[in-house]
Amino acid sequence: MDGSGDAAVHFAVTIIGKDRPGIVAGASEVLYRLGCNIEDSSCTMLGGEFAMILIVSHEKPFSKTRLLDDFKAFGEAMQLSVFVRTLGKSEIHYETPSGEICMVSVYGSDQPGIVYRVTKELAERQINISDMNTKLIGTPEQPVYVLMLEAVLPEGIEVEHVTRLLEKLKKELKVEIGVRSVTPVSL
Amino acid sequence: MPSRPILLYPHMILKKVCAPVATIDDKSKTIIQDLIDTMHAGPGSVGVAAPQIGVTLRICVVDVSKSKLGKNNHHGLLIMINPEIFRKEGAAIMREGCMSVPDYTGDVERAVEISVRFQDENGQVRTIEASGFEAVAIQHEMDHLDGLLFLDRITSLKTGLFRRKKYK
Repeated sequence: MDGSGDAAVHFAVTIIGKDRPGIVAGASEVLYRLGCNIEDSSCTMLGGEFAMILIVSHEKPFSKTRLLDDFKAFGEAMQLSVFVRTLGKSEIHYETPSGEICMVSVYGSDQPGIVYRVTKELAERQINISDMNTKLIGTPEQPVYVLMLEAVLPEGIEVEHVTRLLEKLKKELKVEIGVRSVTPVSL
Repeated sequence: MPSRPILLYPHMILKKVCAPVATIDDKSKTIIQDLIDTMHAGPGSVGVAAPQIGVTLRICVVDVSKSKLGKNNHHGLLIMINPEIFRKEGAAIMREGCMSVPDYTGDVERAVEISVRFQDENGQVRTIEASGFEAVAIQHEMDHLDGLLFLDRITSLKTGLFRRKKYK
């Protein structure tokens, strides 16, 4: 709690558990009854698990304990893990990407280190990942790894630079790597 | 003529199907000039449709000639009255944003090549073949004339919708 009077309180809430119908409805009911607003959220099925990540806010400050207490019955009934982090006032701002946005797709025979090697190259150049998902596909005999990520390019780095940057990795890891611009068009 | 403020969703006019322009008179010419001025006022804007400035008539303007994606393939400033697409070829996905729906973008599939028939500001019927970014812009603006926003056309959920940089 930042205890700053009338400032809205924000929490980062993570909920994860065996996938089944009713998780989203149950979680949003708890938040609705508390008077919370779901400001941003991303929920997806990973393996057999359903994972929810939400940024929720409430006009009136209240404690993390209160939020966890209200989730207790629902979490136990659905066998979900619920984590809550209170966000300080300074953490509440939406960083709006200002540079080019590019999509990097990587796929090839599964091997250790694909995610690490690709993202290390990006991190070393201050290229920020805004979205990423990976999946293991193919057959047990021939597992294929797929990595898709979106990154915001800092000033001075073009999509072509990223292509060239990952060219070496492509050869070394023997995977396909594609980079393309997905910068939104303003219409 | 001044540029006019862009209406933002949930303004109900943005979901209205616009009426055809019966005759091109001084009133429609004022609207056209306002659309052009409004387009030029929005940095990076490549098109505006009449409902975005509160007019429920089938008029839109498109000009991709100054944009990075359209500068090598365009018809300059297009003033389109009662436009109709009578041919569509191919499909490609582009991430679109709209001045009427700030802070959001979404991946939208559009035809790659289109043939469009419309009347210009003098009432002359014109037919053009547009492709690439210009074709996307025309389809986006024409959707406004039918009360459709890019939100109605988003196909992919995975990374389709997220906060985007603001129009200044």
